[in-house]
Amino acid sequence: MTLTTMVKSPFTPEQEAVLKKWTAFYPHKQMGLIEALRSVQEWDRHIKPEAAAYLAELFGLPFNHVWGVATFFPSFTTKPTGKHRIGLCRGLSCWLAGSPLMAKKLQSTLGVAAREVTKDGRFSWEEMECLGACEQGPALLVNDRLQGAATEEKISLLVKELK
Amino acid sequence: MTKILTQHFDEPKLHELETYRRLGGYKGLEKALGMSRKDVTEEVKKSNLRGLGGAGFPTGGKWETVPPEEKSPGPRYVVVNCDESEPGCFKDRVLVTRAPHQVIEGALIVAHAVDAHDAFIFVRGEYQNQYDVFAKAIAEAEGTGYMKHCSMKLMRGAGAYISGLDTALLETMEGKKAWPRQPPPFPTVFGLMGRPTVVNNVETVSMLPHILVNGGEWFAKIGVPKSGGTVVFSISGHVEKPGVYEFPMGVKLREVLAAAGGVRGGRRLKAVIPGGTSMPPLLEKDLDVSMDFDSIRAAGTMLGAGGMVVLDETVDAVEVAHIIGRFLTHESCGQCTPCREGSAWTERILERVLDGKGTPEDLPNLTRLGENVAGKVICALGETVGVVTRAYMTRFPEDFKKRISNG
Repeated sequence: MTLTTMVKSPFTPEQEAVLKKWTAFYPHKQMGLIEALRSVQEWDRHIKPEAAAYLAELFGLPFNHVWGVATFFPSFTTKPTGKHRIGLCRGLSCWLAGSPLMAKKLQSTLGVAAREVTKDGRFSWEEMECLGACEQGPALLVNDRLQGAATEEKISLLVKELK
Repeated sequence: MTKILTQHFDEPKLHELETYRRLGGYKGLEKALGMSRKDVTEEVKKSNLRGLGGAGFPTGGKWETVPPEEKSPGPRYVVVNCDESEPGCFKDRVLVTRAPHQVIEGALIVAHAVDAHDAFIFVRGEYQNQYDVFAKAIAEAEGTGYMKHCSMKLMRGAGAYISGLDTALLETMEGKKAWPRQPPPFPTVFGLMGRPTVVNNVETVSMLPHILVNGGEWFAKIGVPKSGGTVVFSISGHVEKPGVYEFPMGVKLREVLAAAGGVRGGRRLKAVIPGGTSMPPLLEKDLDVSMDFDSIRAAGTMLGAGGMVVLDETVDAVEVAHIIGRFLTHESCGQCTPCREGSAWTERILERVLDGKGTPEDLPNLTRLGENVAGKVICALGETVGVVTRAYMTRFPEDFKKRISNG
């Protein structure tokens, strides 16, 4: 599909090809929107209005529809996350297992409050609702991968290794 | 102890096609494909299998409401709900990791029963590892010829709890905000892109191969009269051995707790959340409750998706109610004003009580808030806020009173 209006693409040709793939992957074009937004979040670490405008054009949807979806789901942000996005589960089981202590540890290790990005752009952390790893609390979601049984030592090590 | 879904979980390579087949995998599908659609549905009805994602709706009965081809010409879809997000539930994650082919085989049986040629597995975004496991297993299954009657595609969610509700799941799949629909029409009539769609949970579809191989009557006999087979509990919190445990429907709560090693550190039990944090808690006096959809209702709670959270005597009920209220407020989709506002106010008042700044009016106000949301919202989330808050207030009045008199 070629874009016919004035929306300028904020993506590379390779990225455009990935997004285009999502328009044709499911039986109906619009079914690919969430996956397309996931790709954009991964590349840009947030959803920019220009990106939403491009997707609106690509998927044949109103801009407000795409922007509404982008601001509805917690995985998508309108403010950049760090290169490494660390989520800490604040569900009941992880709380019982000591997640508040891990929140303090993340804040002191990274030196930034929740949802703020470290100066070098490498990290941000945030509390998330139940991650589905209740038997191995406190659970972390590191760049979309679950890690169980967080301890203060493990967090120090994780931050060191991801640098 | 009867186990169905987890019976081969000591096989390290159960996730691979070869091992799964060696242990009898895909025999249920082969049998189903040799039967008429109606006979497959009848067999599942005989089994008394009920939806294990939380609703407990009879599975065969759900399929029967899909209109026949002549009444609704065009595609029909099968969606496997792997958007497990209820706090305390993680059994789908384990079932998928260990036995992805069991899920795929089950989904292909549903597809045959309702004459669908496209199936989707919707995986919550946080389960990226499970998404990868599925992708590999589907590729394996595609090479076998088992998928001639039905294609299978994966889709990921984006972090919203409410996407796990069937109608909100369909909205998410359609690339929209996860706003629940007001049924009727139900998804089996008007589902994905307006087409008849069966949405079944991971655990539910995993049961199907076993029902086909061993027969509906065999399955029905394992459980209780109106709910056949087994249920996989996720157990976390203050127990010695957290994890997943499979038991026949109707097992006593006491037995499940014992399997998980009992309360950690020899402490006393305060409460057990039986089905995920949206379900009111059970107390020590309820240890002989039968864990099945109908029996547990007499104890004032629900089986939900079997996500058990065990709380010992050191836990404060106000903290627990606040965490659950905060969760529901965060996850309220905002479509119905009473839920959006009611959940947020509940959280705010609970936070005040927690901080020791509560007033004597706060408790009746919390009750009133819950009552004012009930019956005025589309889905169960809004009602849950009031039900759960009231449950903690009535079961542990001393915890609440202590906070308020201290303030």
